[in-house]
Amino acid sequence: MTDAIDITLTVNGRTHRLNVPPRRILADLLRDELQLTGCKIGCDQAVCGACTVLVEGMPVSACTTFAFELDGKALTTIEGLAAGGVLDPVQQAFLAHGAFQCGFCTPGMVLSVKALLARHPDPDEPLIRKWLTANICRCTGYQMIVEAVCAAAKAEVG
Amino acid sequence: MDGGPSPFRAPVIPLDGPDKVTGAARYTFDFSLPGMLHAKVLRTPHPHARIRSIDVGRAESLAGVAAVVTGADAVRLTDPHYGVAIRDQPVIAIDKVRYVGDMVAAVAAIDDEIAYRALRLIDVQCDPLPAVMTIDEALAAGAPLLFESPADGAAIPVGEGATSLKEPRPNVLSEFRYRRGDAEAVLAASDHVFEDRFTFSRINHFHLEPYVNVARASREQIELWSCNQDPFVLRNDIARIFGRPANTVRIHASYVGGGFGGKSFCKMEPLVVLLALKAGRPVRLCLSLDEGLLTLTKHAGILVLKTGVTADGRLTARQSEIQLNAGAYSDASAMTVVKAGYRITGPYRWMAVATCAYAVRTNSVPAGSFRGFGGTQASFASESQIDMISRRLGIDTYEFCRKNLLAVGEPFQPGDSGMDSDLLAGLDAVVDRLGYRRRVAPPGAGTKRRGMGFAIGIKDGGGTNYAQGLVKVLPSGRAIVNAATVEIGQGATTALCRVAAETLGLPLDWVRYGAIDTDHSPLNNGTHVSCATTVTGLAIERAAADARRQILEFAADRLGCSTDDLTLDHWTVRHGNYVHPLEPMIDDYFGAGCEFIGRGGADFAYDPAAPLGARNLFWIPSWVGAEVEVDCETGRVVVKHLVVGADSGTSVNSQACRGQVEGAALQAFGQSLFEELRYDRTEPVNATPLAYRVPLASDLPDRYESFVVEQGGPGPFGAKGIGESGMLGVAAAIANAIEDAVGVRLRQIPFMPERVLTAIEDAR
Repeated sequence: MTDAIDITLTVNGRTHRLNVPPRRILADLLRDELQLTGCKIGCDQAVCGACTVLVEGMPVSACTTFAFELDGKALTTIEGLAAGGVLDPVQQAFLAHGAFQCGFCTPGMVLSVKALLARHPDPDEPLIRKWLTANICRCTGYQMIVEAVCAAAKAEVG
Repeated sequence: MDGGPSPFRAPVIPLDGPDKVTGAARYTFDFSLPGMLHAKVLRTPHPHARIRSIDVGRAESLAGVAAVVTGADAVRLTDPHYGVAIRDQPVIAIDKVRYVGDMVAAVAAIDDEIAYRALRLIDVQCDPLPAVMTIDEALAAGAPLLFESPADGAAIPVGEGATSLKEPRPNVLSEFRYRRGDAEAVLAASDHVFEDRFTFSRINHFHLEPYVNVARASREQIELWSCNQDPFVLRNDIARIFGRPANTVRIHASYVGGGFGGKSFCKMEPLVVLLALKAGRPVRLCLSLDEGLLTLTKHAGILVLKTGVTADGRLTARQSEIQLNAGAYSDASAMTVVKAGYRITGPYRWMAVATCAYAVRTNSVPAGSFRGFGGTQASFASESQIDMISRRLGIDTYEFCRKNLLAVGEPFQPGDSGMDSDLLAGLDAVVDRLGYRRRVAPPGAGTKRRGMGFAIGIKDGGGTNYAQGLVKVLPSGRAIVNAATVEIGQGATTALCRVAAETLGLPLDWVRYGAIDTDHSPLNNGTHVSCATTVTGLAIERAAADARRQILEFAADRLGCSTDDLTLDHWTVRHGNYVHPLEPMIDDYFGAGCEFIGRGGADFAYDPAAPLGARNLFWIPSWVGAEVEVDCETGRVVVKHLVVGADSGTSVNSQACRGQVEGAALQAFGQSLFEELRYDRTEPVNATPLAYRVPLASDLPDRYESFVVEQGGPGPFGAKGIGESGMLGVAAAIANAIEDAVGVRLRQIPFMPERVLTAIEDAR
C-alpha cells in the first residue's frame, strides 16, 4: 500500500495541511475529516451531482475525485457560501422560489448554479436547463429551480 | 364549494429552507454514533434458488469484522418476516432466495472496505430453481412456486361489495374484487362494448438520499435512527420481529432525502438491528443507489378493461381484470391491489362495476408503495380507454368526459364519500390553458405531427386516518409542534407549524417543528397517502386550539374576566381596549416557568357500508393536458406543452403545493417517455444510476405549467392532500395526444421511440 500523501488544501478560504491515503475520496475527506456534511453522496458514481463542490470555481463531483488530486487547490463547499451568515443571492433565490423539497440535492445544485452564473451572468432558460442537467432533483420537477436561477441572475446582475 | 377566505395567502419561507440551502440540514445519512460499525450486504445473483449452505467462517475471522448475519440468525427471531398485511419477506433470506439482488448475508465491520472484503469471503452454495419472471409465467399451470407454504398475516379488510383474499391461488399474493350491480347484464344490454388491454411499467423511486439506518441495540432497548417515513409503523414491526415490548423500541427520524413511497414500511431496518445485536455495537447500513434499485419498485401490471357505452355516449358498466407484478415479496402489494382495483372506474358515473385485481409473485425486485399507489396504473388504463372510446364513437373526448363525469357530491361508488372537487371546472382549466378548443386539425402530411390530449386522474386520499398532535407554548410565546409526520420534502413541517401559528395568533417564525422520536412524539400511522396536512394537520389544529384555550383560561383567571372577553394575538391578550402582554403575566404567576401543552387528535371512523371499509376522506383529482410532437420517421415523442392541475382544498402553502404537483408530474412524465427498470430475462439490466435514466432538467417540456385550485377539504382550514395528484393523469394524457397526432394508440408505457415507430409502421 502506498504511503499517505501530504497535501495543502484551501477550503472555503481556510487552508488545511492534511495527510491523506491515496485512496481517500474528496467527499469522504470533506464529510468525515472536515465535517462539511453539506456535501451529500447520492449515486456515488458522478451521475446525480449531489456531491458537487467547486474546485477553483469549476463544479466537480466529490464522490469520484481523489483528495490528493486537489493538492494546492482552492475549494468552495455549500458551507462556504453564506459567509458571515448572509445568504448568497443563489441561496436566497432558492428560498424565495421554493426551489428545493427534500433538500438532498440542494447544496450541489446551488454550487452548480454558482458556477453557471460565474460564466454566464445572464443565462437564458435553455442554457439554465442545460447546466442543471448535471444535477438530478427527484422532487421539484426542476421548473421552480429554473425560475430561482433566473431570479438569482437578475439579483446578481442588478 | 369554495373553502372560504384562506388565512394562508401570503408567501412564506419554508421553515426547513435555511437549513437546506446552506447545507446545515441533518439527514439520517449524516448521523453517526461513537464506535459505530459499517455494514454491507451480500446479494444473490440467482433469481430463484434454494440455499444449501452459507459458510461465513472466513469472513468472521477477518480482522475488523464484528458480526456476520445470515438466515441462520434470522430464523431464530420471534417473528422473522415483514410485509404490509401479508408478511412473507424475511429479515434476510432464510431458506431460499427469490430475486436477483435478494439479501443472503450481511457483515458489520470497522469500516466499509473491510466489510466489502468480508463479503467476498462468504461462501454461499445454492441449488438454482426455475424462475418465473412475468405475470403469465407465474400464473401458468404447474409454474414453479415462490412460496411453498402460506405466509403469515391476513388479507386487507374491505367493506360493502368488496372481497379481499390472501394467497387465493398459486403465486398469487392477494386478490381484490368489487362488484356493484350486474355488470355482465348491463354490458350485454349496452349499445357498444370495448375491450382494451394496457401494460404498465416498473420504475424505481430513485430518492437521492439512499436507504440508511443506524441501530444501537441491547437486551433492554433497541434504538434506530432511520430514513423511514413511518416511525411508528417501523417501531411496531421491530418490536414484533424481535419479540420486544414496543415501549423498548425507539425510532428517531430526521430530514428524509426523498422517498416517494420507497421509504415507507419496514425494509432493511430489522437487518441493521440484528447486526447491532450480534456485534454488540452500533451499526450503520447505508445502501448504495444501485442497491436501492434492487430494493423496491412501483408495480408493473397488465390491465384489461371491458367498458360499455350507450349510443348517445353514456358509460354503462366496466369490467376489469388487473394483474400487478408484486415481485418476490409482499411489501405493500396487497394494499396496492385494493387501491388499483377500486380506482379503475375513474371519475365517472356507472350503472354497474365488476373488478378483479390481484398481485402476482414473480422472481423480480419487490414492488410496493410509490406515489399514486395503484392510482397511476388505473388512471393510465382508464383515461386511455376513455379517449379511445370517444374517438371510436366519433364524439369529442371533452364532450364524452363532460357527459360522464361525477358531479360534485355524487358518491364515487355507493356507500363512499361524494366527489369533493369540481371535476369539469378543472378539466376546463386544462383545456383552456392547452388551447384545445382553438387548435387547428393536425396536418395530414409531414414527418413531425402535433397532437393534443388530456386526462383526469383520480385517487382516494385515505389510509392514514389516525393521528395525534401536541403543541407546546413556552412563556415567551415561542411554540413547538410535535407530530410523527416526517419532513420528506413535501413541506409538512411548514404546513403543520403554519396551522398551529394561525390557530394561536403567532408569527410563523415563532413556531418550530420538534424532533421526531417515538418515545416522545405523538403517534400517527405514517407519512402516507397525501394525508399529513389533512389528518395530522387536524390533530395539530386541535392541539393548538387546546393550548389556546388553556392560555385564555389562565389570562381570564389573572384578569378576573371571562375567556369570552379575550382575544389572543401576537402573544398578547386583548380585553376591551386593553392589551396585556402574556409573558410578564406568566412570569409573574409561574416564576420558574411553565409550558402550555395542547393535545389534539384526528380519528376517522371505519364504515363497513363503504366499499373499502371506510369512507374516503377526500378525493385527489389530477387534470393533465399535453401537446406533443411525434416524429414519424424516428418515433420520437417531444412534449411541447404540459399542463397539470390539482385541488389542494385550501393551500396552507401555495408554493409547496405547486412544487408537489410539478414534481410528481415530472416523475410520471419520465415514466411515460423513457424511465423503466428493465429486465433481460432474470437480470435487471439497468439497475445502476449510470444506466437508469430519470428525468433531467433538459427533459422538461418546452412549456411546463401547473395550477392549483382550492375547493375545500376536510383538513385544517379546509385543506386536503395534494402530494400524489400530479402523478396520476400524465401517461394517459400523453398517449391520448400521440393518437391525436399520428392516429396510433400506445397501450404500453414508456412511449420509447422504437415502440412508437413500430406502432406507426404497423398502422401503415
